[in-house]
Amino acid sequence: MSTFTKVLMATAIAFPMAQIAQAEGKVEGIHHWVSESEVGALKVLTDSLATKGFIWEDSAVGGLSGANATQALRTRLAAGNPPDTMQLLGYEGVEWANEGALRSLNDLYAKNGWEAAIAPAIQPFVKAGDDYFAAPINMHRQNWVWANKAIFDKYGIAEPKNWDEMIAAGKKLKENGVTAFALSDENWQILEVFEAILTDQNGTDFYKKAVIDLDETALSGPEMIKAFDTLREVRGLVDDGFTGRDWAVASGMVASGQAAMQIMGDWAKGEFLAKGMKPGVDFLCFPTPAATPNYKFVIDAFGVFKKDDAAVAGQDAWIETVMDPESQKKFNMIKGSIPARIDVPVDGFDDCAKRSFADRDAAVNAGTMVGGLTEGFAAKPQFAGVFSDVVGQFFVSDMSSQDAVTALVDGINNAR
Amino acid sequence: MATDLRSARRSQQLGRLFIYGSLVALAAFYLMPLWVMIVTSLKSLDEIYAGSFIGLPKAVTFEAWSKAWGTACIGTKCAGLKPYFINSLLMVIPAVILSSGIGAINGYVLTKWRFKGSNVVFGMLLFGCFLPFQAVLLPMAQVLGKLGLSGSIPGLVLVHTVYGIAFTTLFFRNYFITIPDELTKAAQIDGAGFFRIFFSIMLPAALPIIVVSCIWQFTQIWNDFLFGVSFTAGDSTPVTVALNNIVNVTMGRKQYNVDMAAAMIAAIPTLVVYVVAGRYFVRGLTAGAVKG
Amino acid sequence: MRRSPSFKDRAAAWLPVLVLSPSILAVFVGVYLFICWTAVISFSSSQMLPRYDFVGFAQYVRLWSTPRWIIAVENLFIFTALFLIVTIAIGLVMAILLDQKVRAEGALRAIYLYPMALSFIVTGTAWKWILNPTLGIQKVVNDWGWQSFVFDWITRPEVAIYCVVIAAVWQSTGFAMAIFLAGLRGIDNSIIKAAQIEGAGLPRIYLSIIVPMLRPAFLSVIVLLSYISIKSFDLVLALTNGGPGSATEMPSTFMFSATFRRNQMGVGAASAMMMLMTVAAIIIPYLYSELKEDRNGH
Repeated sequence: MSTFTKVLMATAIAFPMAQIAQAEGKVEGIHHWVSESEVGALKVLTDSLATKGFIWEDSAVGGLSGANATQALRTRLAAGNPPDTMQLLGYEGVEWANEGALRSLNDLYAKNGWEAAIAPAIQPFVKAGDDYFAAPINMHRQNWVWANKAIFDKYGIAEPKNWDEMIAAGKKLKENGVTAFALSDENWQILEVFEAILTDQNGTDFYKKAVIDLDETALSGPEMIKAFDTLREVRGLVDDGFTGRDWAVASGMVASGQAAMQIMGDWAKGEFLAKGMKPGVDFLCFPTPAATPNYKFVIDAFGVFKKDDAAVAGQDAWIETVMDPESQKKFNMIKGSIPARIDVPVDGFDDCAKRSFADRDAAVNAGTMVGGLTEGFAAKPQFAGVFSDVVGQFFVSDMSSQDAVTALVDGINNAR
Repeated sequence: MATDLRSARRSQQLGRLFIYGSLVALAAFYLMPLWVMIVTSLKSLDEIYAGSFIGLPKAVTFEAWSKAWGTACIGTKCAGLKPYFINSLLMVIPAVILSSGIGAINGYVLTKWRFKGSNVVFGMLLFGCFLPFQAVLLPMAQVLGKLGLSGSIPGLVLVHTVYGIAFTTLFFRNYFITIPDELTKAAQIDGAGFFRIFFSIMLPAALPIIVVSCIWQFTQIWNDFLFGVSFTAGDSTPVTVALNNIVNVTMGRKQYNVDMAAAMIAAIPTLVVYVVAGRYFVRGLTAGAVKG
Repeated sequence: MRRSPSFKDRAAAWLPVLVLSPSILAVFVGVYLFICWTAVISFSSSQMLPRYDFVGFAQYVRLWSTPRWIIAVENLFIFTALFLIVTIAIGLVMAILLDQKVRAEGALRAIYLYPMALSFIVTGTAWKWILNPTLGIQKVVNDWGWQSFVFDWITRPEVAIYCVVIAAVWQSTGFAMAIFLAGLRGIDNSIIKAAQIEGAGLPRIYLSIIVPMLRPAFLSVIVLLSYISIKSFDLVLALTNGGPGSATEMPSTFMFSATFRRNQMGVGAASAMMMLMTVAAIIIPYLYSELKEDRNGH
């Protein structure tokens, strides 16, 4: 344990402020869910927590996809005043667990048999060494294609089986004056497309080698160049007003027929459902086309911090609420993702979610389940940042694919 | 002769036209964003999504305003901006009073009770103005933790006071330097002590610069986001953090009208201060802050 | 005859220092100690959390090999230069115009000054829409009939930084104007009258006499605007978030992102030290000349 953590823990225990809060049966949590649907889903959990006798104290910090919340957490921890729980994304939890700041959940996992209820691929994000430190609430899938059915039918386009077909379909649409892809210039949106291309064209083993292991031969090889070439094609199929476009606005474009397709995670589904559209009838949902199907996951998990003894009861109650199958079902039906638990039945979920369930089972069996790079579940933040920079730069400039690959390799090496 | 007079008058008229024209054009440039914000906040959401941001609302509605104030959801708490607005007030008022007060007495000491090295001290204080605040978040958090003030409004007041001292000292010192030393020396000969001189001579004369200092500090502290998000938690966050949560909604339809109404509500105190006290601001600057 | 200093005198001599000491302590800790802490971290291998080891200049080397940092530094110079020049020019012109005994001076002054009251988040969000080609100015002008009008700077990496300049200028010109106006009002009318009697035209008077007399005001404005420029963090974040790509990255956003998003605290600290050294290089000579003059002239 580093000196830093020792100091902060000593400070946390020495000051009674936290204890006063706990004595009233409160659980305080930091998260970045601030939209109405996200908050609605969270309420499912907090209401359930209330039935256990604990009140939820909300420390929401929105913005920058959770970066503001992360900053708030770090400063709280530096001050020796951690929250009871925190919504953890990517490697954040792993790092804190390694520093010894998070409580081990092994007891709860053993007592409730949760190990069998989660997919093996997400273990690196909820377990550090021998200790479980987080409970996952949901699983998002990053690489969906949301398409306007009317447009597809009009131009006789079927669900593409690989990226070449997808690009061909896009070109056909462009010839007919239809915007093929609704995108934005935000780096993360472009990276989502890029990493989908990379995995779909080359399989999850290559993805692991290039993006997780950061192997230099993989990063500088022809597969990378081909991926950038394909991204360049996508760039040609995007309309001119794509700057600063909010992803939800892009979804709106597909919903209203101004664009044909959007490549976005399953949080976009809510946009279509809110407009009263039905999957398979008004809009289509299918994963980005791959020769061997893969599943790119993104999870939200809650970890609990080491504080004083009075906090433990509330924290345990919260974790049990999070992992409760009924809570997971209700939460995810509102949020648009699927439960992190693989043993929750699919009834009641819409068709897109059902497909997600099926694809996930298949991927678990085939071992083709991988974490999404854009949301921080593949490369660590300092490297993911490099991907994001280079891909974003490539998209908005006329950089050549070779230059992009060189910049990528240089950037990754610089950050090692 | 007559033609000279006429052409002189015409060039004067053209001159006035030029002056007024430029001022009005500039005024339009400065008012445009405010116009956009007000107009958007009075529209219904459907109207915004149907049209552009700049046109007049077809049907004026104050729904967005009442929502922003009382019912908008910030995290799971759906009480609008009101509680956070109050937090900001509780935080700003003590911070402004403390930092201005300390600045005043510092300025007084540095000009009327100079000692060896007082200029060095002033220089060192002043350098603090230029510190990029992101760099001090983590060490300051550690200090606040050790003091037991983390996550609370008093902690935030302390932080703003510490970083406000540099500026307020600058304002007061530059102002007091224009007050003749003879005044204070005469008072000393009469037997007045350190504090007596401060309260009976310096402060009353310092009214303009007190206003400048308070206005400046009020604006900086009220509008601060970085310290607010880092050093407070849950119920004690200021209004800027709450505003950020409202505006940064990423799911679903962005409620632009509520966003704009919320931004305006958060901006009203500082706007009022500038509009009402703006003339005192200029007067205070005239009275001495400007002299280098 | 000299009397020996009484206890009261000696105590009185210490009083000034005593009164200053809380501020000295606060600034010593809050500024200088923290700068030392940042320096220590910049020489360490810290990633997500501070690690107190020593790796020499490795983080600085890493910093200067990061293309985004180079872009950020370039942007800082472009932004600061343009921001200062344009704000000072417009502020000065506005002050001169307002000084011409204009009716409704109070109202106009309030209009020019109010942007300073707004927080950067509000300014950045409002300008983001105004500058967006499909929602803002370009669309409005197109709707009015000029179809060929294009104003999409915010979407083009080469010129996006100028949009940040526009928003920042909008926010701060009123303040510069207020300072210049105060300076103008402090100039003795008799000097102007004397020059007019000698036959000098108004523009000539302004350029050769009045503007040079505003030197103290210029210095104040430059100091305060530089302060605002360094603090431009909130504005960039709200307006462009560093985009498109990394085109509007600034050292302050770079530092924030390195420390809190990319878990590269050492690099972030190195960038903060670079920022501080730049600031010191400019401010310290200014302070020195300021305070030296003062010692002589008083």
